[in-house]
Amino acid sequence: MWAAPFLILFRVQRAALDARRRDRTWRYFAWSLLGGAIASMLIASVALAVAVLVGAQLWWLAVLLIAVAGVPVVQPLLLRHVIVPQGWYRVAFLLGHIGTARDSDADALVYAAWALSRKPTPSGEAWVAARRDRRKPLGDAEVVTTALLVAARGDAEAARMLLRSTLDLVELHPAVRELAGEWLACDAAERGAWHELAGDASAARFPATPLTFFLEGVAGARIGAGPARGELYARWLLAPHRRATYALLAVPIATSAPAAQPAAEPATPSPEHPPLPRAVAAHLALSRTRVDAPRFAAAVAAWDVALADAGTRAWLARRALELDAPLGAAERAVRDVTTTITDELARVADARALGAPPSRGPIGAPLARRLRHGRLDALESAFNRWADRRHAGDVRSPVDEWREFVALRAAYEAAASAGGLDLRRLAFPHAYKTGTSMAVWLWNSRDEYALSHAISAWLGGEARTVGDAEAIEVCGRNVRLAVPTRTGRVVSR
Amino acid sequence: MIANPFFVLGLPPDTSRIELEREAQKLLGMLELGFADARMYATPLGPQPRTAEAVRAAVAALRDPYQRLVAELWARHAPSEAVAAEPEPPTAGVPGLRAKLGWR
Repeated sequence: MWAAPFLILFRVQRAALDARRRDRTWRYFAWSLLGGAIASMLIASVALAVAVLVGAQLWWLAVLLIAVAGVPVVQPLLLRHVIVPQGWYRVAFLLGHIGTARDSDADALVYAAWALSRKPTPSGEAWVAARRDRRKPLGDAEVVTTALLVAARGDAEAARMLLRSTLDLVELHPAVRELAGEWLACDAAERGAWHELAGDASAARFPATPLTFFLEGVAGARIGAGPARGELYARWLLAPHRRATYALLAVPIATSAPAAQPAAEPATPSPEHPPLPRAVAAHLALSRTRVDAPRFAAAVAAWDVALADAGTRAWLARRALELDAPLGAAERAVRDVTTTITDELARVADARALGAPPSRGPIGAPLARRLRHGRLDALESAFNRWADRRHAGDVRSPVDEWREFVALRAAYEAAASAGGLDLRRLAFPHAYKTGTSMAVWLWNSRDEYALSHAISAWLGGEARTVGDAEAIEVCGRNVRLAVPTRTGRVVSR
Repeated sequence: MIANPFFVLGLPPDTSRIELEREAQKLLGMLELGFADARMYATPLGPQPRTAEAVRAAVAALRDPYQRLVAELWARHAPSEAVAAEPEPPTAGVPGLRAKLGWR
């Protein structure tokens, strides 16, 4: 009976924390304050009870009370400020079970990976990976655990991609998503990707921890869409690591929308700027400056003008005569230069994932063909390798299957965004054929429901983009299947 | 572009064949004696190391009228000064913040 008020308070505190996860408005502060107030009451009650028990020489009962009633209340603080910084991954795993009664292994696994990432060791990684691999089917916790292990090895880009991929998985552990969102928010702040962070905030992609909520406010302030100054201070006060984040608070840079890209200079010949020197200069500039789509398009357009220019060809013909070059040397020189330039520009476009330029001259047309065919071939062989592996019976762990899918999808998206809707229409049939086959295999033979569902959902979205009616129907049916997860069955509408 | 024979020899594109041969011999001699001035040559993409093999290859290429035509096309129309590298934009981020906030 004495435990009843305590349990009620504990329950209300959990409800307050859950509500905080959902809200990004003033209610966030209200729920946070309520959660904090209840936690204080709980700690005071436990302290009082412990004092009474110690006074009555009941040491063992006092210790038991602290373990049962005190530790759960301070678990988040203990984890963040003591256990994780020390790299005590086994303790983090044990304590991680306290936060929830529903699949607590998921939270525990991610806390263990977080602690290990602070002080990584090969034996620790093997310990965490073994526990991760024992959990089947794949869900968000396994992906986040893998991402944190990858980050511990120093591969932030792969970690970023994996953490973001959890958005496609229907299994949802709020604490796991919170930590994924916090890592992404800290990473975005480190890179200065304020627009990316503000986009995540406005779409509420991840539930916000107090730290994430503060960084989202900073991102908003930096792009000119932030909260009021007082609210930003309130967020800072609620967030941990205030000393480290104080500088962010002190230097708000309010710039509005991202600066518009300067338009590519028109590649029109003028007496002051003859076409060939202009093209050579634009070409050289590509290797000395940050190459973006407008600069790249300007260089291609400059070459198209220069190589089609009558003046250039006349100069070549005259000089070929003067040098006593063989017959047809001028035409051959134009062909060779065209090939060299196209090769170099194709390499630049591939390295920077740039699309085919709009100009369709002697350089622009073959370059567009080369980029489209090269990217399609690369995608086709990547999807074929995926399918071949399945037919050859080369079964990988679920998280490796997920990583392969995420990498393939990223390659597809990069090629499609560079090549436009035309390339997307050509590439989709390969992705659809292989992806559907893999999704069916993962669902029927390997019981990897969330993974299979994510593949079908992505294919369904692509099918709608390219307007493939049959694929829309098939993927729609697959996506509507109820997905069994450890947090319950999920039915997509 | 950086291995253009005219840049390797440090001569303008309208140089006569005799002058090319003379300059090549002079550069080979200087490289043999280890002259510091001969060790580098200027290109629109910045200075590059010069070797005796590169000098021999350059002069051999310029003896062929077709190869000289192509080399001239680039060298004649390249900017006279090195294209300046664009400085990296100042980052709006906070280096090392992830670690300060408890993450790797």
